[in-house]
Amino acid sequence: MKKFSVLLICAVIAMVMTACNGESENASSESKNEVSVWFHTSKETAEAKAMQDIVDQFNEENENGYTAKMEFIPRSGSGGGYEDKINAALTTDSLPDVLTLDGPNTAAYAKSGIIAPVGDYISNKDDLLPSIIEQGTYNDKLYAVGYSESSVGIFYNKQMLKDAGVDLSTLPTVEDPWTWKEFKELAATLTEEYDVPAVEMGLDTKSEWLMYAFTPFLWSQGGNIVNDEKTKATGTFNSDKSVQAMNFVQDLVAEGYTTKTPVEKGFQTGKYPLKLTGSWTIAEMANSYPDVEYGVMPYPTSPDTNELVSPSGAWQYAMAASTEKKEAAGAFIDFMTKPENLKKISLENSVLPASKSIIDEVKQEVSPQMQVLIEQNAKSGHARPVLPEYPQVSRVFQQTILDLTYPDKNDDIQKLLDQKAKEIDKALE
Amino acid sequence: MKSINAKHNIVAYSFLLPALVLLGLFLLIPAIMAIYYSFTDYYLLTPQDRTFVGFENFIEIFSDPTFLRSLQNIAIFVLCVIPVQVGAALGLALLINKQRRGNMFFKVAYFAPVVLSLVVISVLWLYLLNPSEGLINEVLMQIGFDPQPFLTSPDQAIYTIVFVSAWQGAGYQMLIFLAGLQNIPSDVYEASKIDGANKWQNFIHITLPLLKPTTILIMITTLIASFKLIIQPMVMTQGGPMNSTMTPVYYIYQSGFSDRLIGYASAMTVVFGLLIGLVTLIQSKVSKEDE
Amino acid sequence: MDKRLKKIIEYVLLILLACIFIFPLIWMIASSMKPESEVYSDMGGIQSMIPSLNPSDWFTTYQELFDRFNVLKYVFNSITYSIAVTAGSILINAMAGYAFAKFDFKGKKVLFGVLIALLIVPVETLIITQFTVAHDLGILNTRLAVILPMIANMFFIYLFRNFFMAVPDEIIESVKLDGANYWTIFWRIVLPMSKPAIATVGTLSFIASWNDYLWPLMVLTDSSKYPLQVAITNINSTPPVYTNQVMAILTISTIPLVIVYIIAQRYILQGLGGSGTGIK
Repeated sequence: MKKFSVLLICAVIAMVMTACNGESENASSESKNEVSVWFHTSKETAEAKAMQDIVDQFNEENENGYTAKMEFIPRSGSGGGYEDKINAALTTDSLPDVLTLDGPNTAAYAKSGIIAPVGDYISNKDDLLPSIIEQGTYNDKLYAVGYSESSVGIFYNKQMLKDAGVDLSTLPTVEDPWTWKEFKELAATLTEEYDVPAVEMGLDTKSEWLMYAFTPFLWSQGGNIVNDEKTKATGTFNSDKSVQAMNFVQDLVAEGYTTKTPVEKGFQTGKYPLKLTGSWTIAEMANSYPDVEYGVMPYPTSPDTNELVSPSGAWQYAMAASTEKKEAAGAFIDFMTKPENLKKISLENSVLPASKSIIDEVKQEVSPQMQVLIEQNAKSGHARPVLPEYPQVSRVFQQTILDLTYPDKNDDIQKLLDQKAKEIDKALE
Repeated sequence: MKSINAKHNIVAYSFLLPALVLLGLFLLIPAIMAIYYSFTDYYLLTPQDRTFVGFENFIEIFSDPTFLRSLQNIAIFVLCVIPVQVGAALGLALLINKQRRGNMFFKVAYFAPVVLSLVVISVLWLYLLNPSEGLINEVLMQIGFDPQPFLTSPDQAIYTIVFVSAWQGAGYQMLIFLAGLQNIPSDVYEASKIDGANKWQNFIHITLPLLKPTTILIMITTLIASFKLIIQPMVMTQGGPMNSTMTPVYYIYQSGFSDRLIGYASAMTVVFGLLIGLVTLIQSKVSKEDE
Repeated sequence: MDKRLKKIIEYVLLILLACIFIFPLIWMIASSMKPESEVYSDMGGIQSMIPSLNPSDWFTTYQELFDRFNVLKYVFNSITYSIAVTAGSILINAMAGYAFAKFDFKGKKVLFGVLIALLIVPVETLIITQFTVAHDLGILNTRLAVILPMIANMFFIYLFRNFFMAVPDEIIESVKLDGANYWTIFWRIVLPMSKPAIATVGTLSFIASWNDYLWPLMVLTDSSKYPLQVAITNINSTPPVYTNQVMAILTISTIPLVIVYIIAQRYILQGLGGSGTGIK
């Protein structure tokens, strides 16, 4: 018994100690010049490491004695991700001074007064890309500043295309894009040749990816998710044009050109000849699969409009409205979005540059594959809808794409879109 | 010891105090708050605009196809997992319940999955059941079957989760059945042997009735636990495909956090909480009458 | 002959069943002890159940995992939370159980009824409002937030109460005559007499706390405070994801529980209705 009570007392002491630990950590961040920052990846990612380097530099160089402390919160696939944490902190008024947020969330956060305008603190404003300004602006005020741009293309394995008898010089470019019909023809050739679904489209992920990568098909056809007033989806999301675009997506699955259950790393390891993916794959190829020769093609366009549309938008820095350290937080965001730091982020993470002045410098230093994405983004980047109810709208859209991948269960696309449009309407109410 | 006086009350309550404070803080107050919020249109981003909306949330959730689907899913899950898991546990217990060489090994083997946490089994089976490169499909193909979309087909996913859950829980319940079996005095069997009963009759007329209390207890706990299903679908399927594995608790979590609709999520909490309470009450009433 | 045949059939059945129950665990451990490429090249053969044939590869995966993630920190966190929850749970639930078992106080029946009713409240559904409470207490993103809600548990109170009921009143009365106060009685007499109950509650709390996932996921923002369960899903979604590393972290997070189950196997069974019913 004696032993036991000693144990118990030790444990209680341990508890109190850990509690005090928590207290003291909080207390230290209360210091006037330390900005607390939430970042949306786990600290093991390349992006987080690059970011931390720049933050360390800020901590060393800042003349006013401001410092920043990063907290890395992963955006995990299975629940409890970063945005849930932000939501949770909102209810309870425990937001940090600075946070990162995805482009489409700007409206919701600004509208409800979670984030404060930062325009006055940013010295590099005129140099930022129009798309960056656009996604960060709400009611004519700049609320958030993107530190990179993004884009998606059709990555292709050069060797596999050659072996299938495709002439690489005829492949589409940003200046001279291709249509869905041509895309399907290529996919059919390759599917036939390799007896696997030709193109990996990330249909196995249930995440923002689906919204981000598949909305361009809708827009290229002239369809949309919500009407121009952003009040209703019925009449827009279930219009003929939207149905046609979704039909194209479903055909890819129904005809076996793509699969909802792709093999992990199938493109990287030479199983699939094509992959619909973003700039991050360029970094992965360079780091882990340096021997694979690959190129990047632009998005295929609707044969009815021939209009090239590609996704854009990225994560940005914003200041919490609740912060008591506006000057320090503003100085921090300003520092993070200075041209030299934006350039550093672009090159180290292989993401697209967010400001005009560095585009040419970056372009000289990046691979031809990256150049294709930079050009496509400049020419055809299309932002996702700016809506306070964005999370629900995005989720319904993701659900729609996933449901489409079951052609035998959802062969009536009109009916499916009618129902999903109703769901979006409910969220918009 | 049984004298009631003021001092006695104070002493008793001082012993109760820590537990009551913690239960109050983390169970009672949250429950009351959920009821209160369920009558409001509390949207996380605009707490200042919170207004009282009466039964609006309740009307809305019953026309929400996802919520209805989640109720249907949990009904399927509960109705499948109870017979599968409890049946497997009883079968294993009967198999093991005899003297033979190597019995200890079998007992440990059947119990092994219990040691894994729900997160671990979910991640592990996610890899095993991977449609194109998982071990299970690899083996199926080698013996001439088509690979199965265990977690990616809306028709199979919920049953796959039933199997994984039962696979984990059966070994534990097997041990409880085993304890029940060992409590049956052997002379009961001796007596019926003299009456000329065979093994099967023994099982039906002696073993089963005597195991009844154990079985009912196991069923109730399985029932209550299965209602709270969230981790497996969260990790393995994120509620998909086509909402076929969305469960009420998961949907509450999603509406409350991802969609920021606290009022709406609270209404589901209340409805689902009442439902669980009701089922539990019926279940315990039925089992009481049986005894 | 007939008897022998029956015996053989019986054993074949037993072994087949055993395979169904343990092959995932064996695959998990084997995969964590080989290079990533071998995990996939071995898939489907008997080789997939055997670690790398080259013993020097056995712990390379673990080495890589430890280089990428601060696994020791997560292990330490999980152990801290579980021990704190276990100690708190034993003490606080035993005190409450003692009050219900040995005192006749005002409102006892009502209170007990209310607590039993709380047993059927599905805690998981209250997660949103529980969170708000945690915030109002100012404990978000502290270790206390992970620990506190798991301590008081009606089922454990009930278990202690039933156990203490069996402690004869005469013993307590006789000590009381010697002038001992209630706390002394509880601490010196009642608790030492109920080691089995303590062991049961301790074991079950430890396991429940070790396996807790949803709550720590919500209240912790600082990844250096993550327990192992949350770290698992974090590692499983931090690209690049390597199957062998995921299996390694699964194995690491299971080892402590294996030890607990071996040490405390006598007490696990009494926890029916508590945790560990497979589906929580």
